[in-house]
Parts: sequence; C-alpha cells; structure tokens
Amino acid sequence: MIPLTYYLVLSAILFTMGALGVLIRRNALVIFMSVELMLNAANLAFVAFARQYNAFSGQLFVFFVMTVAAAEVAVGLALIVAIFRVKHNIDVDQMSSLKG
Amino acid sequence: MTPSDLLSILPLLVLVVWACALLLVDLWLKRKGVTAFLAALGLALTAGLALAQAGEETTAFGGMVALDGFASFLNVLFPLSGLLGIAVAYGYLKRMNIERGEYYSLLLFSTAGMMLMAHAADLVVVFLALEFLSLPLYVLAAFARPRLDSEEAGLKYFLLGAFASAFVIYGIALIYGATGTTSLSGIVAAIEAGSLGTSGLLLTIGAALFLVGFGFKVAAVPFHMWTPDVYHGAPTPVTAFMAVGAKAAGFAALLRVFVTAFPALDADLTPVVWVLAALTMFVGNVVAIAQTNIKRMLAYSSIAHAGYILMAFVAFGNPATRADAVASALFYLVTYALTSYGAWAAVIALEKQDPSAGSGQAASGLEINDFAGLGRRRPALAAAMTVFMLSLTGMPPTLGLVGKFYLFRTVIEAGQVWLAVIGVLTSLISAYYYLRVVVVMYMREGAPETTREPWLDFTWAVSALATVILSFLPMALFAWASAAGVMGF
Amino acid sequence: MTGAQILFLVCAGLILGSAVMVVTARNLMHAAFWLIAALFGVAVVYAILQAGFMAMIQVVIYIGAIAIMFIFADMLTRRDVRESRAQIGRNWPVAVLLGLLILAGLTALILAQPGVGRVAPALPSGLDPVAALGKALVSPDAYVLPFEVASVLLLSALVGAVYLAFLKKQ
Repeated sequence: MIPLTYYLVLSAILFTMGALGVLIRRNALVIFMSVELMLNAANLAFVAFARQYNAFSGQLFVFFVMTVAAAEVAVGLALIVAIFRVKHNIDVDQMSSLKG
Repeated sequence: MTPSDLLSILPLLVLVVWACALLLVDLWLKRKGVTAFLAALGLALTAGLALAQAGEETTAFGGMVALDGFASFLNVLFPLSGLLGIAVAYGYLKRMNIERGEYYSLLLFSTAGMMLMAHAADLVVVFLALEFLSLPLYVLAAFARPRLDSEEAGLKYFLLGAFASAFVIYGIALIYGATGTTSLSGIVAAIEAGSLGTSGLLLTIGAALFLVGFGFKVAAVPFHMWTPDVYHGAPTPVTAFMAVGAKAAGFAALLRVFVTAFPALDADLTPVVWVLAALTMFVGNVVAIAQTNIKRMLAYSSIAHAGYILMAFVAFGNPATRADAVASALFYLVTYALTSYGAWAAVIALEKQDPSAGSGQAASGLEINDFAGLGRRRPALAAAMTVFMLSLTGMPPTLGLVGKFYLFRTVIEAGQVWLAVIGVLTSLISAYYYLRVVVVMYMREGAPETTREPWLDFTWAVSALATVILSFLPMALFAWASAAGVMGF
Repeated sequence: MTGAQILFLVCAGLILGSAVMVVTARNLMHAAFWLIAALFGVAVVYAILQAGFMAMIQVVIYIGAIAIMFIFADMLTRRDVRESRAQIGRNWPVAVLLGLLILAGLTALILAQPGVGRVAPALPSGLDPVAALGKALVSPDAYVLPFEVASVLLLSALVGAVYLAFLKKQ
C-alpha cells in the first residue's frame, strides 16, 4: 500500500502550486481557482491524516471546508461578475481606482 | 443536547435568529430606518444577554464551544461595535443612495461570526467562525455597488481573505496531523502527554501557517498589503466596522488558540511574533506619514495598532506575565475600538458625494486637507477629532495613553525591553501624522462642508467623552479585562 | 508495484499536471477545465484512501457545483481574445522563489516525520463510515453546532451574492 508520506508530499506540492498561482496570475478568476487548489491540498492532507488515525474528525473537517468553499464561490464569483459588468476587465493589477 | 448547551451560547443564538428574522421582516418594511432600529435592538439585546453571562465558565456541545470570562468580555464588545456600525451607517447609507435592508442583516451575521469566534474551543469552530464573519464583510465592502472603488475593495478583500483562509486550513491540517485532533483541549492533552516526538515540528509549522493566515486577517506586516486599498474603497461605515470588529475577532482567535493550545510552542513562536510586531508597528507608522487621504492614513494607523496588540503575544511567551498579556491585549482592543470608531465617525461627517460626478462616482471630502477650518466651523467635532488623534498617539488625557502604558509595562515586565522601546519610538513617529490632522483643523483656513446627523453626532460625541472620562477611571475596565481570563481545559 | 500504487501515481501526475495547467493556462476556459481534472484526481485519491463518501461529495460539490460556477463566470466575463495581454504579473520571480521555499520547507518537514513512512492501518471491519459520519454530524456532542453554523453561513453567503448580482430596475 501507499505510505502516508506520498499523500503529504502530493498535498504540499499542490498547496505550493496554488499559492504560486495566487501570487503570479493577474486574472481574478484564475487567482480564485488557485485558491481552490490550495483548499484541495489541505483537504487531501486532512483525509490522509484521518486515514492514518482511523478517525472521522479529519473527514468531517473536509466536509466543512467544502461547504465553506461553495459559499465562498457564490460570493466571489458574484463580485467578479459585478466588477466585469462595470469595467469589462477583472485583472487585479489594473484596479487603478485604488492606488497609492 | 441539553438546555444548558443552548443557554451557554444564548446571546449568539438570539443574534442569529434575530438576523434571520430581520431578513424576512425587512421585505415588508418600506422605511429602512425601522430595519436599522430593529437590528440595533437585536444587538442591544445580545449585548445585554452576554453581559448577564459574565462570570460563568463552562463548555458546551461536546467541547466545541467554551463560555468563559474571555468569551463574555468579547461578546459584549462585538455587539456594541455592531451597534456603532449601525449608528454611523444610518445616515450615510441614505446620503450615498445605498440604503438597503441587507446592510443590517449582513452586519448582524458578521457580528454573530465574531461572537462565535470568541466562543470557539475547537479548530473547526474557529474556521467556521472566521468564514462566517468574513463572508458578509466581503459583501459589505462592496456594498456601494455599482461604485467601482467599492466593488474592487470587496474583490481584493475577498481574494486576500480566501488566500489567508487557505493558509489557516492548511495550518489546521498539519496541527491535526501532529496531534490527531482539532479540539483545543485535545491538542493541549497531546502536547502535555509528550508523545509528539518530531511531530512537534509539524505542530510548530502548522501553528506558524495558522499565524500567517490570521496575520492577513488582522493586517500585520508583511501581510498588510490589502488593508489600505480595502479600507479606502469600502463604504466608510463598513471600514469602521471592519477595522474594529474583524481585527478584534482575528485577535480573539489568536488569543484563544495561543492561550489554550500553544503555550508549549512559545519558545519557537515568540521570536517570530517579536519580529512581526516590530515590523508591523514600524511599517504601519512610517508609511502612514506619507498619506494624504484620511482613510488611507487611518488604514495604516490600524496596521500599526495591530502591531501594538501583537506585542501582547510576545509578553505571553513569559509565564510570569501570561495573565497580564491577555488582559492588556483586551484592554487595548477596547481602547482602539472606541477611539477608532470615533475617528471614522468624524471622517463620515466630512465625506460627501461629489455633486458633479453623479451617483456612480466616488466620494470626496476625504483628504486630510479637507479638514482645514473644521476648528472654526464645527468646534465640537474638531475637539472630538483632536481627542481621537491624541488617543491614537497615546497622549494624555485619553484612554489611548492608559492602554499603551499597560501594554508597554506588561511587555517590559516580560523582559522584552527592546520591543517596548520600539513601541515607544514608533508612537513618537505616529505623533507626527496624527497631530498634523489637528494642526490642519485649527491652523488652516478652510470651509469644510459637514453633515449633521443625530446618530453620527451621537457616535463621535460618546466616543470622545468615553475616551476622556475612562482615562481618569480606567480601573473598572481594567478589572473587567483582568477577570476575562481564558479558562484552562 | 500494486494496482493501488500505480493508480496513485497516475492520479498524482494528473493532479499536479492539471494544477500546472490551471496556473499557467492563457485561456480561462481551459484553466477551468484543467481545474476539473485536478479536482477529479483528488476525488480518486480520496477513494484510494478509502474515504468513499469524501470522493463522492468531491465530485458532486467541487466538480458539480463549484467548477461549473467557474465555467459560468468564465463565460460571463469573456473579453475579446485578441485583447488578452500577458497573464503573468511582473513579480513572478519573487513568487516562484517564495513558492520553492515553501515547498522545500514543507517537504523536508514531512520527510522528517518518523511515523509517516508507515502504511495506514486497516479499517476496522463492520464499520459503516457513511453512517458514522452522518451520526457525527447531527450528534449534539459532536458536530451539530458546526453543522448549523455552516447552514447559517450558506444563508448569509446566499443573501450577499443575491445582493451583489441584483440589477436595479430603473
């Protein structure tokens, strides 16, 4: 079978990639997708640890993370679409109305 | 579920039910003033119930939430800050043409999230409370839609908030991996059992990621980049609520988690927090000097104050000053909440919609130079603003001095003299930009247009009076904060 | 190498490859589809970890709801393709350096764990994980409070999203 280490390394790489995506991309949607990758990395670690401990608490946490992710998506995409309606652009480094 | 479980979180339950009911009732209310009144009534009721809980100590729902002095102290503070959030918003929303009932329901939901945070005794609840208080705030920051600066503030706050949450969750995952549990008491037990071995490192890194995530939430340097933009773009009453409530809730989570679960990690984390606190005080105060916009200046000021509160965590590393560290942080939070609300109320009084720009445009009256002549035009308001600026600097005769004195003394008693020196020096730097506002108000000619609204005037007047009067009688507040210890598990 | 190990490696490759594509894709729609691939890979890994229920809700919630919402948002925020500029911000070298540091730290940390080389113990027989999860969620001594909080949280998010998306009729 597969040792826990493998899952954790996979999760660490996925988390790093998500963080990189947030830091280097300019499009708000892609940044948000990268955040989802980070959340999935954390969930993966939770489920792997839960398997190791043979306990459900880790899986339950994942359940709540998914619920919250769904709520976040609703609010976040509403914001992104609302901004696009006004200025037809969702690049975060072009948000010039707030500079200084 | 026993009745005592429900009773222990009664104020929170009342607030949540009230918020849901308000959503429905608002549909039939033509006059949004009634909605505002009902929301304020709910918050006042909640604060009263929380006050009645003082002195109780228990856990409920199988250890998910705790009721102790810490929770009941903050559970009075949060509804009161919500009340002020309504008082400053009532006239503003009307004036800016964004009067909608959702403002009040969302504000109530966010306050409920903050209260849940104060209760949290399990990392699941910490996480859910964090999201519960943040999600309505993202929407509130964008509340002045379709005004672009407000929408962009909402989006920036949202993206940074989601990013920070991801760090918090990954941190919790590592903590769970090290200890096998998410309950704070379970984590304490695992640490004390000493069976962690090298998993202790996993726990430390988990705690560090947790700290990074909440560093974003409380706007500590170097995780502060979003703050000036978001505080600037959001409607000013929301900014005030965010600056006070969200920051206090972030610190509530950090205090709760550090106090109960991580005392064993102090040796590893104290130097990190030391650097964070020093950097935050320094950067916040120095960059604030360069600001010409009052909202941005107050945003950097709020960053700087996050640094002062972080000092308490360094003092926490020394077992001798542990109790004082929590009490001084809570005391400072109250000081900051009162003063900062007053200052934001004064900003709101000067803010106006540009008549030439149409309804979709940003507001004006927010430059520091717009305060010129306020001393002559509105003597009372100018005097109140002077009090707030003195209090934010930490000068007599204001509560800010007492708060800083208590904090610095605790830090020095903990043996961190250099950090206290940095605190004092940065306070001196801050005097420059705070007093500049006072100079502009009294020394420069100008004819600022101000708004007179009963509730707004009430807010700054009460805040100013309380800031001065409490500075002469700080003992009651002091005793209350000292009693608000976090219960051990 | 057993079947499970091969499956795991394939999934890990799928997840990481898709993640790279999400982060680097120029076309937003492609990024959304690569996100779905990555999410699906994670679902299979849950299944390998014998967390069947998690695998299922990963597909239903993450792919069925969240990723689909992303696709809708993509379509609602589409611009002229020719207009698309560089997708990467100026500060990418710093970000990459930072990312490599995080990664090195986390990996070193994980590899230093003594227990993690172990293979997980077998699940006790006769246990119905879905029933246990369900009971924990509504048990007053376990997760009923977080469960209720999650529902109120969804309500507030819903109200907020409706407020933001609502067009004033004028």
